Amino acid sequence: MKIGILTGGGDVPGLNASIKAATNRLSEEGHTALGIRRGWAGLLECNPDDPGSTERCTTPLNPAVVRTIDRSGGTVLHTSRTNPAKVKPADEPEFLREGRQDDGPRDHTAHTLKVIERLGIDALIPIGGDDTLSFALRLHDEGVPVVAIPKTMDNDVHGTDYCIGFSTAVTRAVDAVNQLRSSAGSHERLAVVEVFGRYSGETSLISAYLSGAERGIIAEVPFDIEKLAMLLTQDREANPSRYAMMTISEGATMVGGEMVVGGKEDAFGHRKLGGIGQLTAEMLKEITGLEIIYQELGYLMRSGSPDSLDLMVAINYAVMAADLVVGGESGRLVALRNGNYVNVPLAVTGQGVKRVDVGALYDTDSYRPKIRHVNGKPMFLY
Amino acid sequence: MGATELRRIGIMTGGGDCPGLNAAIRAVVRKADGMLGIEVLGFRDGWRGVVEADVEPLTVESVRGILHRGGTILGSSPVNPFHEGGVERVRAVLRDLGAEALIAIGGEGTLGAAAQLATEGVPVIGIPKTIDNDLSGTDYCIGFQTAVQIATDAIDRLHTTAESHDRVMLLEVMGRSAGWIALYAGLAGGADMILIPERPFDLEDVCTHLRRRHLRGHRFSIVVVAEGAQPASGTLKLPAYPRDARGFPRYGGITQLIAPEIERLTEFETRVTTLGHVQRGGTPVAEDRILATRFGIAAVDLVVAGAWGRMAATRGGRIVDVALADAAKVRPVPEDLYRVAEVFFNT
Repeated sequence: MKIGILTGGGDVPGLNASIKAATNRLSEEGHTALGIRRGWAGLLECNPDDPGSTERCTTPLNPAVVRTIDRSGGTVLHTSRTNPAKVKPADEPEFLREGRQDDGPRDHTAHTLKVIERLGIDALIPIGGDDTLSFALRLHDEGVPVVAIPKTMDNDVHGTDYCIGFSTAVTRAVDAVNQLRSSAGSHERLAVVEVFGRYSGETSLISAYLSGAERGIIAEVPFDIEKLAMLLTQDREANPSRYAMMTISEGATMVGGEMVVGGKEDAFGHRKLGGIGQLTAEMLKEITGLEIIYQELGYLMRSGSPDSLDLMVAINYAVMAADLVVGGESGRLVALRNGNYVNVPLAVTGQGVKRVDVGALYDTDSYRPKIRHVNGKPMFLY
Repeated sequence: MGATELRRIGIMTGGGDCPGLNAAIRAVVRKADGMLGIEVLGFRDGWRGVVEADVEPLTVESVRGILHRGGTILGSSPVNPFHEGGVERVRAVLRDLGAEALIAIGGEGTLGAAAQLATEGVPVIGIPKTIDNDLSGTDYCIGFQTAVQIATDAIDRLHTTAESHDRVMLLEVMGRSAGWIALYAGLAGGADMILIPERPFDLEDVCTHLRRRHLRGHRFSIVVVAEGAQPASGTLKLPAYPRDARGFPRYGGITQLIAPEIERLTEFETRVTTLGHVQRGGTPVAEDRILATRFGIAAVDLVVAGAWGRMAATRGGRIVDVALADAAKVRPVPEDLYRVAEVFFNT
């Protein structure tokens, strides 16, 4: 068999380990791996009648090629957010433009299917988050054998307890909180650390839990800024070093407020500088009169090398996906459930949203993690 | 004045914290208290502790285990002694506490105040610290090497994400009106361009560089931007920065301003990372611990010599002392160092 492997959406540490492990497993079993470059864009932009385009859109994968790739983060296959079922004019390759009537998105699934056939691909292993996996499901529905691997540092793919990239993201956030302690302590300040995570508060929750930050604001629970200010002031008083730390999800909201897209105008009249973290820092300063350290972690959470937990999951997911594909399975998602490696129908990814279990893991009164029961829980607590 | 006459000295840390301050405090105490039998009083929270006589005794025992810790065990504050009683108050506090000298560890603000106190006859010795490394009179300041290491690590990591997405990644680093951190980290991290205040940039030229890289087949670029970077006159217009209590601009945000412009002009996806306070946090690298230790020992030697108004400094790898009055001026990145970095912008 010839199996296509691709990575879509935002990069996370661990993707290269997955690519390597899948390639080696397929090779051991006597099959061939073909790398598809830049996610689904590699299939969309491939013109089977143009050998040059095939060369640009694919890359051979074999044990020699992948030998050293797992030592760094990112993805050697590169990635994109292209969805071949909804192609905007700007993303449409020249040779597919014929027949375009308006500026609306067009569905090029048929072309993608043709490319898969012409490249001789028997099955696909896409690695991605919600968006990437939605097109994987579409291809499965069209009859292409697909086994998918979930990745996102936000850990928000429905159907699995764990996505590649989450552990490293939290590791980086915990490091940052601890690094900022010396500055916060020396100046006796409050520190607000904003973490990526989109609409899921899990990165903020677990970062606060593991770093011991006094408060952790999560996207699922709107917060009262006056109350938060009071709590942090008390935390600071109670700390012999007179400072307090908090984490906040980029998707957090204030009670009665909307999703905040921008803080006060900065020197340049820009309002999108820091989003909710920036606004929270400014309001905390106003209410408490204290100086605030505001730190947005952003891309530093997803860049660089994977930690050992992400390596572990990335490699195991890839081995499992390769075995399922070789065994003739399709429409499956490799996953972790209750601490066990399993596979579930790919369709479940679109059947709900994964959010923090507030009742089990969070105290909505004190704005911090509260893990009510640990005994009997899997390693990741859920 | 000889060593035997000195019985007690004070020490304080002022301005923004940085990694290595504790190493300097430890060295001062080890040499003074441990070797010469001179008592050391630590003033809490910078000049606030000095004007309010808020002190704690520092001993060889009390400074154990702090060498590797970031921040400062003494705390810091933005208090300016000349707004809080001035030279008379400082003189009176030192006299009442029996402190015969004051070692002030700080950046341009703290050392400026120290220089002024010295001219008025207060026995003061300075130690330079600032992650920005922008003080005249010394080649390196405590905290700089750690900030450079943290920024370099960030560049290394951003490479993977920039490459995976075929993006332009802009990394904004601190440095105030000088480009030391940007230039050093950019050199160490292999940045494809470095924008520093000493070299006003033309956004068109920046975009031309980025386009050339793409034409050569490099589909991603990393640009390090000093927070104080300035557009060449007549190109981009920057709104004025807000000013702090001492009238210095509070930098930050230029990268957010130029990123959309770069994206518009090049049509390359462009993203921003602002490194912020993590640059001054965390554990000092070995270089900073060693520099801070050497400065601490040198400062006690200057105290013993009665060399009031001097600052410990490093020049060409040697520890020297310079006049505080000459030390607290901004030192720009020299032209020849920028030319080294420039070699790597065109390929």
